[in-house]
Amino acid sequence: MSTEDALRDPGLAIVTRGLGKRYGSRVALEGLDLDVPRGRIYGFLGPNGSGKTTTLRILVGLIRPDTGSISVLGAPYDWRDRRRMFRIGSMIETPAFYPYLSGRENLAVIAAAGPPTPRRRVDEVLDAVGLHGRAADKVKGYSLGMRQRLGIAVALLSDPELLLLDEPANGLDPAGIVAMRELLRSLTAAGKTVLVSSHILSEIEVLADVVGIIAHGRLVRQGPIQQILAEGSRIRVRVEPAERDRAIALLAGLAPVDLPAIPGADPGLLSLRLAAGRSAEVTRILGDAGIWLQGLTTESDLETVFLALTAEAPTGHDRSGWGMAPPGDHA
Amino acid sequence: MTGLIRAEILKLTRRWATWVVLVLLLGMMTLVYLLVGLTGGGARPDATGFVTRFPAASGVINQFVFGLGSLLAVAWAAALAGGDWNWGVIRVIVARGEGRIRYVLAKAIALALALVIAVLIAYLAGILLTMLAAGLLGGSAGDPLAARSLSGFGESIAAGTLVLLQRAAIGFAVAIVLRSQLAGVVVGILFSIGEGILSTVLLALSFRQGDGDPIATQWFQYLPFGIGDSLLAIAPGPSGNLGSLLGEPVDPGIAAVVVAAYLVAAIAIAALAAARAEIAG
Repeated sequence: MSTEDALRDPGLAIVTRGLGKRYGSRVALEGLDLDVPRGRIYGFLGPNGSGKTTTLRILVGLIRPDTGSISVLGAPYDWRDRRRMFRIGSMIETPAFYPYLSGRENLAVIAAAGPPTPRRRVDEVLDAVGLHGRAADKVKGYSLGMRQRLGIAVALLSDPELLLLDEPANGLDPAGIVAMRELLRSLTAAGKTVLVSSHILSEIEVLADVVGIIAHGRLVRQGPIQQILAEGSRIRVRVEPAERDRAIALLAGLAPVDLPAIPGADPGLLSLRLAAGRSAEVTRILGDAGIWLQGLTTESDLETVFLALTAEAPTGHDRSGWGMAPPGDHA
Repeated sequence: MTGLIRAEILKLTRRWATWVVLVLLLGMMTLVYLLVGLTGGGARPDATGFVTRFPAASGVINQFVFGLGSLLAVAWAAALAGGDWNWGVIRVIVARGEGRIRYVLAKAIALALALVIAVLIAYLAGILLTMLAAGLLGGSAGDPLAARSLSGFGESIAAGTLVLLQRAAIGFAVAIVLRSQLAGVVVGILFSIGEGILSTVLLALSFRQGDGDPIATQWFQYLPFGIGDSLLAIAPGPSGNLGSLLGEPVDPGIAAVVVAAYLVAAIAIAALAAARAEIAG
């Protein structure tokens, strides 16, 4: 599909092509190509400083891209297009409020800006995020989780078609995370699109329909979550320790075989980086050779895919394992 | 726009800074008038007439409301304008699709409305405190609305309010350009004090170069705070800036135009700074 066609594709809520942004000499985004389908939850993953927040800032007009094209809700878009922004709800970075106002007052003064918002909507979103009981309290007394919920309430104020949430699960308790998940699912069931930026892989794994992984300002992988998970899936088998070497030799033709790295671990355990759907092949190969399985499990692991994709750092980034960008990088 | 202005008024009435500034101004006025009333002017009882008898007393009220008041207005406007940037709420506002220039203008209008109300409150308090001080001295303040002082009141309130709005706009613009309420307060006040010192130094240099005759209007009397002093000088009472006190005063009509131009320029700078800002962090 050509760039022009992609930018006008009604089935895509967000399209970016060649999106670039520099902060001084540091490159935050370098030719980012995103395709966010409508009516889905899109998990936007990336290590710290990879360009997730920069992308979101550009999408809501907080900063301007240096290069590239953007389409939002089926039409080309730029930061001056206020009317289009009326159709987007967002929570970028940490939620920001007036600490001296109550939760309800904050929503009321924020609702006065941007799209026309009926007064009753304030109570509706307070109910949706379970903050009605504390709506009269000043925000300076709110916990991190309560601020987060109020931030989601702000994003929902204009009943947007497209929701952009930056780390929405931050500070939420387990019940809050489940509630948020259900809320987001109900929104997509109603045809809305949700983009969730996060580095909590387990959360994205259970929440997202489609995933995009960004590293060093570039998209390194994008696709349906099941397809991405298949790339990171493993099959673990247990054989008699005496038959382990023979099993390794037989299975090596299918996929690389890993042995337990922990000293004292079960010597009969083998792990293959192989799609879960191919477990029958494993049992057949071993069975044909007279090696009887004592156990077989399958795992799909987004973390494996994520680490494999984001570890392929181009240049200049820290490889210590903290995934940290150079000093001054908060993108 | 009216919804935005209403929201801004709600925000500023909920902020402690608004009430602290007003209470500070009224508290200082109360303290001084009570001291005058209770001590009878101390070593210079003849001076009490200047404070407690209209129309001269209106000059003292002017000095409080537009002298001390303008310094407080700079700090207050900077605090209110910078708050959005300090707390990051500007991100939320812009991300909702609100026009940055529209938002800055709405905030400026709300601040201006609040300042006009504060001026009226402070002026009324000044009249009542003058009467109180005169009463404590066993005399009368005279009629503050007597024909000879009524026009003076109107003129000086209008001129003073314009100056107050202009100075508040400077604090407002500084806070938005620097994206910080504290920086706005500090720089705004330093700007005001710094300009006074600069004017004084330049005035002294003008004296040295001249032959002792009254010096002509100097360029530095057109600086933002100095020109406000020139406009305030139409009302009776001491002027706050040595530069404008000693130099040939700028014509009030010209001063009013220049003050208004500074006011518009400050708001325009604030709006443009907000419009161009990359809001990252």
